[in-house]
Amino acid sequence: MPFQAPAEGVLLPPYRVLDLTGPEGVFCGKLLADYGAEVIKVEPPTGDVTRQRPPFISDVPGIERSSYFLFYNTNKKSVTVDLETSEGQVVFKKLAASADVLIESFPVNYMQSLGLDYDSLRQVNPGLIMASITPFGQTGPWKDYKSTDLISLAASGFMQITGDPDGPPLRQGNEQSHFPGAQHAATAIMGALFYRDMQDGRGQYIDVSMQEAMITYYTDAHPALAYIQRGENVTRVGTNSTLVIPLGAYPSKDGWISAGIITPREWENLSNWMFEVTGNEEILNEDYKGGNQDRAPYNDIITALVIDFTTRFTSEELFHQGQERNLVFIPVNTVSDLLVDPQLDASNFWFDIDHADAGNLKYPLGVFDSEEVTPTTNPAPYLGQDNEVIFGELGLDEAELASLRTRGVI
Amino acid sequence: MVERKKPLSGVRILELGPYVALPLTGRILASLGAEVIKVETNKVLDEMNFIPAWSRGGGQPEFQRAKKRVTIDVRTPGGLEVFKELVKVSDVFMSNFRRNILDRWGVDFPELRRLRQDIIIMWQTGLGGIGPYYTYKSYGILVQHMGGVSLMSGEEGEPPATINTSYSDYHTGVFQPVAIMGALLRRGLTGQPATMESSIFKSGAVTAGPSLLDYQSTGRLPERIGNRDRFASPHGVYQCLGEDRWCAIAVQTEDQWGDFCKAIGNPNWCFEDSFSTMTARLENQSRLDDLVGGWTLTRTAEDVMECLQGVGVPASVVSQGKDLNESLHLKARGFYQKTPYYLADRGNPAYDWEQFEGIASANPPKMSETPMDFGHYSNIGEDNDYVFKEILGMSQSDVDKLTENQSLY
Repeated sequence: MPFQAPAEGVLLPPYRVLDLTGPEGVFCGKLLADYGAEVIKVEPPTGDVTRQRPPFISDVPGIERSSYFLFYNTNKKSVTVDLETSEGQVVFKKLAASADVLIESFPVNYMQSLGLDYDSLRQVNPGLIMASITPFGQTGPWKDYKSTDLISLAASGFMQITGDPDGPPLRQGNEQSHFPGAQHAATAIMGALFYRDMQDGRGQYIDVSMQEAMITYYTDAHPALAYIQRGENVTRVGTNSTLVIPLGAYPSKDGWISAGIITPREWENLSNWMFEVTGNEEILNEDYKGGNQDRAPYNDIITALVIDFTTRFTSEELFHQGQERNLVFIPVNTVSDLLVDPQLDASNFWFDIDHADAGNLKYPLGVFDSEEVTPTTNPAPYLGQDNEVIFGELGLDEAELASLRTRGVI
Repeated sequence: MVERKKPLSGVRILELGPYVALPLTGRILASLGAEVIKVETNKVLDEMNFIPAWSRGGGQPEFQRAKKRVTIDVRTPGGLEVFKELVKVSDVFMSNFRRNILDRWGVDFPELRRLRQDIIIMWQTGLGGIGPYYTYKSYGILVQHMGGVSLMSGEEGEPPATINTSYSDYHTGVFQPVAIMGALLRRGLTGQPATMESSIFKSGAVTAGPSLLDYQSTGRLPERIGNRDRFASPHGVYQCLGEDRWCAIAVQTEDQWGDFCKAIGNPNWCFEDSFSTMTARLENQSRLDDLVGGWTLTRTAEDVMECLQGVGVPASVVSQGKDLNESLHLKARGFYQKTPYYLADRGNPAYDWEQFEGIASANPPKMSETPMDFGHYSNIGEDNDYVFKEILGMSQSDVDKLTENQSLY
């Protein structure tokens, strides 16, 4: 592709990105697509399997109605090719010749088995940047191990530090294992594009291990160093600290509120406020005064008093009234709270996208806010909606397309 | 010998700000070849110099290595003057101080643009730099609860599940390099700079995912199902031999169920009708979990993993620090590398801190043509001479004078 400038108000040049990923990498292509790259989802003729994933819009099943598919494929195009047929491979190679980037998350060596590994593809396109996002990377003794979101959360050690100390390691919601690898891959892809186009470089191959990417998402806990230096394993501390009191989540009148009281000044403000509200003088006990970990011996009694206080307010009341007293109460939001949050609204986080089947919904596209550049707002693609245009550009005429379609190749 | 170009060779980035997200962004860009100048002062030390507490700073190379570290107190007139000279020769300025603080120091955005017309600005905050919460104070470990994921984790009715780290910071830290490199490309092609504002709240809220659409469509809030899965059983972590040892197992297909049963020796219960299909297993998963847990409890987590992965069933030890440190897989990939760090000490300036040896993680992307730099870990202020004299061309006597009056300290 010729190197073009981004359109007015768009961040990225219209780089052509072929997205062959499953859930392990789908967020990578979304990031690039939302900020202006031409990301083409290459699907099997039966469609990406996540099109079948419930829940569906209004609970009516359909391949254009999966909330998962709609969320992770905004601003992408769609073509269909059966990569397991030799004709499909010929078509795909033409497509790869026209692309800047290819992202895939197949099992290690699957692309090679199709003759579509990086060494083969760079013969037709030396500028191509190819990124593989896989559970354990392309090399090493675990490279062929099978994984899922749960398994990746376990292998990286995320679960070791999530949950209650007396309970089992816990999985975080919404498949958090699928973000770190995808985000790291996006940074490397941007670096590789910058190298190719601004430094007279060439294309390259990028190997991202989800396990490694996830380990770098909690390096402030540094479990390996803790083991080396102390011979101890970092573990779960639960929601509420047993050292810093109060620090954690407490029930409110309408849900949960998190609180963190770190400095002596904050404790003074909180204890005075609690006394005003509850009339219970116990909280003013001199023994409880101090900062950070000074209240650790009184955890049980103070926590009970804190809950007596927090349950008298809604989470919103504590959040805002706390700030007036220089206290940090942070609401524990659920998705319905996010959709009406005034801060997200004010910083242009939500963008309306209309989709013929899903209707008009708000999507969280504004990861950053800028007067100069804004996200693009096209809905997730219909299956194969761009076959004619994109394959047409590659020189396939209508007769060829019809023939490929009849034989199930596209 | 001509040094080989790196992706961001020739790009200079000025970083002003503490904690996790912003320094991580700078570190990634530095590993891609940018010259990242981190501005800090001995007078107000970033708390990250002391983490983890037991190591007095062994975590800091994860966030600061590969950078040039200089001491400038931008609150002093002399320091601000030098800082402004650096703005003039930088391509990107990034900070995570609140706007009112930057304004108080005289580091306001219009002024930065006046000094360097095409500078790219990345401005990051916890809850948001503009909008109703812009003055709000926050703590990183709590902001993860704002993004919606905590209430999708753990069990219904239980407190929100917390990961024991500033989790949402990392999303911000790894996202921002994409935006900054995009803005650099765009500036290179159009000549136009950009100012971008990001927050930890927003990057966390993106990861709430498809539930945001489902709620709008059906009014349904996400279920909290702990370690279970809507489509797979057995699915969970099972206790193994040893202290706090667990193995995660995820059986997703009928074929995997057959392989699983065979691998564990085809006990009679595998052939019960109540476990014969995925639907049946999901219906009877509590009893199934007990039976699987009975099998794992007498085995080590490593044995369970090897046994099941040997037949292609997804399984993994819940990795502890020891596992990660000793992992042959991570070793084969060169993941952890040795790095010096400095034992942080509030009583003394950083140049008096004792050097110690630690480890840090390599950059996860392995790039074939331009491998990302692990990078040298500079102590605070280690690169003062290079930056002040070589980049800015200051004289030794000027540097000495400003160091003495603690402007460059």
